[in-house]
Amino acid sequence: MNSNKPAYNNRLGLKGWVYAGKYTFERYLYLGHRLTGMGLIAYMLLHIIETANRMRGVEAWEGLMALFASWPFRIIEYLLFAAAVFHAMNGVRLLMTELGFFLGKPKEPVYPYSSSIKRHRPLTYIIMGLAGLIIILGGSSLFFP
Amino acid sequence: MRETRLWSWHLLVIPIIAVLLGAHFAVMHYAPVFYGVSVDKAREFETMIERGKSVTQLVLYILLLAAALYHGLYGLRGIIRELPMTPALGKIVDTSIICLGLFIFAFGTYVTWWTFSFKIGG
Repeated sequence: MNSNKPAYNNRLGLKGWVYAGKYTFERYLYLGHRLTGMGLIAYMLLHIIETANRMRGVEAWEGLMALFASWPFRIIEYLLFAAAVFHAMNGVRLLMTELGFFLGKPKEPVYPYSSSIKRHRPLTYIIMGLAGLIIILGGSSLFFP
Repeated sequence: MRETRLWSWHLLVIPIIAVLLGAHFAVMHYAPVFYGVSVDKAREFETMIERGKSVTQLVLYILLLAAALYHGLYGLRGIIRELPMTPALGKIVDTSIICLGLFIFAFGTYVTWWTFSFKIGG
């Protein structure tokens, strides 16, 4: 085998993340999980570099904090908070799936088939509802201290 | 087996991140709700240094740094490695991500240690 050839062919590449036929609600949660995950890791790397500003002294630190207290940065901070909450709550759902909770017992595949995803969906709605609630409540504390 | 171990660690660090990141949010972003002090006060230089001089904070922040970096960079590696690439390129991706993680971990630890050992008025 030629080792210079790709290990496998990911035919749709990045486009396949968004659309490759009919995607379910869970598939879009998967997309959101990836996008928020990449946003959070990018922010984390920047956050570590930016908070190192403390080593440049009080003025540099206070100047940076004043910048973060401005409205554009408060909105960015809120979006990050929302991304973290969504990622965490969807992560809880994924962990439960990974560990086999709320999927129902295996049974004979008799038509009309019931998929484990459908059995899992009420939990998905509850978790996403909770995430929405936390995001709204978190915003109220961030914008109206 | 190696991939299973890496994946297991990816899951095992989640509770650490959940607890410590939650605490970080409470201290830095929701101080009025949890501590009754304004966000501005929580972010003042003196307050930040005072907090950073605690051994508990030193240890917990380094633990959060390690856990979050591992979880995030392992996830990023999974996304990148899904794209079509040669095994050689895959190795370059892996090595780059490890180097980035080690560099950021070392830098973050140094900043945390700098705060811990900062001498007020010195």
